[in-house]
Amino acid sequence: MVGLSYAAVPLYRLYCQATGLGGTAGTGGGAERIERMEPVRDRRIRVTFNADTHASIQWNFKPQQSEIWVVPGETALAFYKAKNPTDKPIIGISTYNVVPFEAGQYFNKIQCFCFEEQRLNPQEEVDMPVFFYIDPEFAEDPKMAKVDLITLSYTFFEAKEGQKLPLPGYQ
Amino acid sequence: MSTAMNFSSKSFTPRPPDKGAFPLDHFGECSAFKERFMECLRHSGYESAACRQSAMAYLECRMDRQLMANEPLEKLGFKDLINEKSEEKPEKS
Repeated sequence: MVGLSYAAVPLYRLYCQATGLGGTAGTGGGAERIERMEPVRDRRIRVTFNADTHASIQWNFKPQQSEIWVVPGETALAFYKAKNPTDKPIIGISTYNVVPFEAGQYFNKIQCFCFEEQRLNPQEEVDMPVFFYIDPEFAEDPKMAKVDLITLSYTFFEAKEGQKLPLPGYQ
Repeated sequence: MSTAMNFSSKSFTPRPPDKGAFPLDHFGECSAFKERFMECLRHSGYESAACRQSAMAYLECRMDRQLMANEPLEKLGFKDLINEKSEEKPEKS
């Protein structure tokens, strides 16, 4: 699992470069969809939160809530928290995973803290929000009929100073 | 996203967030709003629907302090809360 997650960062980079999906903030499709979508009240889903750090990064990183109950079609906010307990600044970069895999296609992050370098100064602690929604189409997919638990996992890695990570779009 | 019939593929492809990454709130400018939101979650049994006002307030805080790109709240899924607000107060403060 760790290996898969570790590979996800460069894989994501390749995927984004190939499909050009990075940096398409505020595309009509995304924002309009959010504005128009209606909550599917009879499909309550429990979203649980995991936080991992790769062995190389010394941050303390954890979710601020272990779970949240949502419905498809309604935006939701959740928080993680990260602290750098060392006496040196550390730059981290994160990727995420969604389980069950098949639910991942319906899990839409509007904004979060991932795929971009985040620098924490010595002893600094910050809140890290995730703003997301589960697509209403989730409720219409027969394969998702028995899914009432989705787990979101973030993993932080250390990014070395001066290392150029060509993640597209986000400045 | 269209529902592709992925018969064999069990792999997960992470996707970028629609609006990119939140800048870090290094100075805790919106921590109070976050606390209010977390308090609401704790009291409501972690029910997201019960705490949408607080979530909206947190995001508004970020927007006010350039910690989030300005976006009409309807486009962030809060159109029902905006309509309520404008019904209660004829003047938006």
